[in-house]
Amino acid sequence: MIFLKNVIRFFLSLRTAIWLLVLIFALFFAGAFVMPAKEEYRSISLMPLFKWLVSQPIGITWWLWGSIGVLSLLTINTIFCSIESVVKKRKVTHWLLLISPQIIHISFLFILFAHLLDAWGGFKYLTFVREGTLLRITEDNTLQIKDINISLDTSGYISDWKVDVEYFLNGETVRKDIIRPNKPSVENGLNINVKDLRVFPHEAVLLQISREPGAVWALVGGILFMVGITILILFKIRIER
Amino acid sequence: MLLLILSFGAYLFALWKRPLLYVGLILQIAYITSRGIELGRLPLVGAHDTITFLSSSIVVFSIPFRIVLKKKLSRFHRGIVILAISFTVFALISKQYNMPLPPVLRTFWFETHVVLAFLSYALFAIAAVLGYIYLREQDSSLDGMQYRAVLIGYCLFTLSMIFGGIWAYLAWGTYWLWTPKELWTGILWLFYSFYLHARLRQWWMGKPMAFLSMLGFAIVLFTYLGVSLLMKSSHSF
Repeated sequence: MIFLKNVIRFFLSLRTAIWLLVLIFALFFAGAFVMPAKEEYRSISLMPLFKWLVSQPIGITWWLWGSIGVLSLLTINTIFCSIESVVKKRKVTHWLLLISPQIIHISFLFILFAHLLDAWGGFKYLTFVREGTLLRITEDNTLQIKDINISLDTSGYISDWKVDVEYFLNGETVRKDIIRPNKPSVENGLNINVKDLRVFPHEAVLLQISREPGAVWALVGGILFMVGITILILFKIRIER
Repeated sequence: MLLLILSFGAYLFALWKRPLLYVGLILQIAYITSRGIELGRLPLVGAHDTITFLSSSIVVFSIPFRIVLKKKLSRFHRGIVILAISFTVFALISKQYNMPLPPVLRTFWFETHVVLAFLSYALFAIAAVLGYIYLREQDSSLDGMQYRAVLIGYCLFTLSMIFGGIWAYLAWGTYWLWTPKELWTGILWLFYSFYLHARLRQWWMGKPMAFLSMLGFAIVLFTYLGVSLLMKSSHSF
């Protein structure tokens, strides 16, 4: 019982939050020197994080494992402190001022959850393709590159591009789409992006087929942050006036 | 480039004649505008243009603080002028990026991401100057102003990360890449999260906060210039 009380006291403390932030800052700081020094990190963004982590020696990934551990503790600490803050201050503070830091905390948790989902269940596949290439994207769905159109300016720089694609389901055309800069094609929850283009000797594109199940959660987290911080700043300004 | 050289001169003489700071700022804004017209886009790619923007942003954001800091203006003014001079010199010796923008960079999300990032850096710079003055003068009003600069800077920086994430997702199918630049961005965000939480505890108030705001700006400089110059990343600057 005493142990449980100590655990709760530990997680209910702002001091814990501060030192956990220092700890994760230190781990990221260490990682910032490990990352550029190790060749293995070149492949970290090519697959989901957990898949990459388990395939690498602990000697180069310790700071990432440590960060995940500290972030887990920080998540519990954030939930505990947010609940306590709402309960304690509900009668003494304006509800908007009380709720806005908690909205920011929730947005942080949403973004962490998004990263967790992607690290666990994300999917990435990269391949160079030319016009006419057929790619199987799911058990029954196929994607065909119909046309690659790259425009060059007078200096030879790429000024615009578009890639026409066609989706097939069991051999039948389902729909046609065009991938443009900042406009990926989406099919069956998969994002089809062009990551790079090559003009010579043949027009070809580096295609990425990916799934980031956390992206929506990250977006929700981002929107919540904007809401929370706007309320907080507006209220702080009003109070100081 | 003449406008930028003139703005450097105005900032330099602003060390003795305060109103020249505004002359320098107007010249710098005129230079940024002329670059924008010449390039046909927002001039915020590469070291030259981004440092110029950072320098003018620091001066613009310093204006409301100057109004409040009536008695402590001398040291604050000198700090801001020294930063403006340093960044303008850096801009003058940096290579201009005059090439057309790759299609993937021609989007509202990218432009907003960059503008917000540099506005936040400017506020972190102001907080560092206020922290330095606090260490010299120990005036509690400086502590409050420092906090406001960091809070708004943190808000803009987080928004910049969100906008950058949206852009990266649309451009490359992922909102986060594990590259040195993103990692340092994470370090910077964690540092200022720590700053804002630490400020809620009495122990950290005063001198520790002043030191932290100066340390924060050192991390900003490394995230912005150090990583871009020394490490391979998805960001050119």
